[in-house]
Amino acid sequence: MNKMTSVTLRINNIACRYESTSVLEGIELSALGGDFIGVIGPNASGKSTLIKSISRTLRPYMGAILLDEKDVYSLPSKEVAKKLAVVPQESVITFAFTALEIVLMGRNPHLGRFDAESADDLSIARKAMELTNTWHLSERPINELSGGEKQRVIIARSLAQEPKVLLLDEPTDHLDIGHQIEILDLIKRLSKEEGIIVIAVFHNLNLAALYCDRLMLIHNGKIFSLGSPENVLTAENIKRVYGVEVLIKRQPVTNSMYVTLLPRRESMPPSPGSLPNKGAPKRPFFVHIICGAGTGSQLMHLLTEKGHKVTAGVLNAIDTDHEMNYLGIPIVSEAPFSSISCEAHEANLGLIDKADAVVLTSIPFGYGNLKNLEAAELALKNKPVLLIEKEPIEKRDFTGGEAKKIYNRLKENGAVVLQDTKEVLLIIEEIAR
Amino acid sequence: MNYLEKILHWKLIITYLIVALGLTIVIAATFGPAHIHPLIVLKMLASRLPLVNSLIAPSWSVSEETIVFQIRLPRIILGVLVGAALGVAGTAMQGLFKNPMADPYIIGISAGAALGATLAMVTIASLSMYMVPLMAFIFAMGAIFLVYNIARVGSKLPTSTLLLSGIAVTLFLSAITSFMMYISGEKLHGIVFWLMGGLWASSWDDVWMALPWILIGTTIIYIFARDLNVMLLDEEPAQHLGIDVERLKKIMMTFTSLITASAVAVSGIIGFVGLIIPHAMRILVGPDHRILLPCSALVGGVFLVWADTLARTIIAPTEIPVGIITSIFGAPFFIYLLRKRKKSIF
Repeated sequence: MNKMTSVTLRINNIACRYESTSVLEGIELSALGGDFIGVIGPNASGKSTLIKSISRTLRPYMGAILLDEKDVYSLPSKEVAKKLAVVPQESVITFAFTALEIVLMGRNPHLGRFDAESADDLSIARKAMELTNTWHLSERPINELSGGEKQRVIIARSLAQEPKVLLLDEPTDHLDIGHQIEILDLIKRLSKEEGIIVIAVFHNLNLAALYCDRLMLIHNGKIFSLGSPENVLTAENIKRVYGVEVLIKRQPVTNSMYVTLLPRRESMPPSPGSLPNKGAPKRPFFVHIICGAGTGSQLMHLLTEKGHKVTAGVLNAIDTDHEMNYLGIPIVSEAPFSSISCEAHEANLGLIDKADAVVLTSIPFGYGNLKNLEAAELALKNKPVLLIEKEPIEKRDFTGGEAKKIYNRLKENGAVVLQDTKEVLLIIEEIAR
Repeated sequence: MNYLEKILHWKLIITYLIVALGLTIVIAATFGPAHIHPLIVLKMLASRLPLVNSLIAPSWSVSEETIVFQIRLPRIILGVLVGAALGVAGTAMQGLFKNPMADPYIIGISAGAALGATLAMVTIASLSMYMVPLMAFIFAMGAIFLVYNIARVGSKLPTSTLLLSGIAVTLFLSAITSFMMYISGEKLHGIVFWLMGGLWASSWDDVWMALPWILIGTTIIYIFARDLNVMLLDEEPAQHLGIDVERLKKIMMTFTSLITASAVAVSGIIGFVGLIIPHAMRILVGPDHRILLPCSALVGGVFLVWADTLARTIIAPTEIPVGIITSIFGAPFFIYLLRKRKKSIF
């Protein structure tokens, strides 16, 4: 909307407090036009306070916020409002202004004391409404719009300000996923095209990862981590800040980080005197899983949920099943695309040794992983071995019959053949008792 | 209706209301014990205007001219001024506080004025005719100053604290006023009459006393009409849209107090107008202060003049305090508007 002029925003070591409670400390940030910065962190970590202090609502008692090298608190409101717009979490507007009138209020900082909105202002407001897909609502009273419609009108109002810096406090939380993406796409595009600095508070970590160039993870009022989404969104950081287990992958299509929440598992060793939960195993039951190519992930997850201890091996380090490592499952791994080395094989046998039962999933065998089959055979000597056979061994044997030979030997010597994961679970529950 | 059509529509509304005000002044001037024909009144008024005055040959008696110009007209003009001041002050207060219960008196002006007027009537033996309005004005502004300083936190003026300290100061000052009334003896009647509010015995002096303040105050409030609109979005968003919220609050408080105190000083405490006229206008023309303020001023003026005309004629020669009339006739009309438009207005 505006001619491309570069803008800078610097946050110099600010600290904020409400009354005597300190809520932000040592916040530093430097941004240039075109930056899209996400602020993430748990509730009450200080995200909104940061937005408030940048937007002149809560003056930091220490440090300074420099917009184009000028302290925002020393500038008149109007000068700041010409460059900086804010989209709040929620807007309560009880008066029956039409949506267009609300958007036109975005022109306020650009109007002189005795000016009325000109045709130019009107066309800027209209363009902002068309961009946010709200022009059809222009004559509707704002207090009769739905939450999502209202939020889009408020975003249009902030765009009508023609800002150089746009602050958004959880801007899309009231919107459905379609409008979320539409609005964030729009803001991202404007940010790049018009050289706008965008600083947005996000609750949804995946949206943050998808749109932001940089993330600021705030914890207890301090910067916990600041940098690219890859560096900030680590399972370790999220566990320490939010206290939840997550699985982080790179989304193959968008190439952005993708966070999957994992349910909290309470590990409760049965204390003496307390009755064990009905259906829960009396002592941790160790299951070792020989798997690969995603055949074991679900089983590992389900077994862990039931309170069993799970180990796995030998897997290649880029195998899908290998990601279960994030669940805290001990896994013996091998370098990608390499044959199983003696060391890995030995480690695998070590885990098998500790296990109460071994599961072999329906994996294909080549010379590279034949050692896994041998490991199963060794296991069969002193513990139950369960075979999941989704496809007959003939179809999975790429060793010219060698794998088939060992596999059949396993069957003959008492390995249990099962159809799917569900059956495995039932059997394991049975043995565990 | 698109935006530019709306501006045109606004101009039309204001034109109608100005015409209505003119008609009100002329017609109201014909009411009274002595019957004077509206055309005569119109001619009398025209004879005082430059340019057209030479065209009009006086066809009325000197006493008729005295009745219209010295008795009825000052009272009518004062009614217009007071009604307009209360309408504008009420609109500004409701907008500023985002509170439907707000009226011009909400932060203590009426209580201050009442105390000032009562003190003047009780303590000063030989009252000059200016003492009561002067004391009322001084005490009204004093009360606001007190409320302002109680509510102030540093350089900020939190709205809720302002409302509450307004209520506290009002209660405190009212208690003193009640005490003064209790010991006032035979002066009680005068005090009660003043407190009820009315426009009797208005003179041009009253008009000239109130006019400059009300004119200046309303003009300045109108200049900030667009800011008041943005203030309706709440203080934080308003600030993000370039409004210096704290400064605006101070300006609004100063000038609403100024015009309200001026109105109260010359007419006593006339209720209802400042509360209901803004609401009624908001229902009729919408929340934009650029149309709402002029409409509230004009309709406030027209409404008060008609209420006063009724007050002085309905059981003539006895006059009823105009506050009684404004409530008896205004409240049902307002209820009708509320029911007609069931949507929430606040």
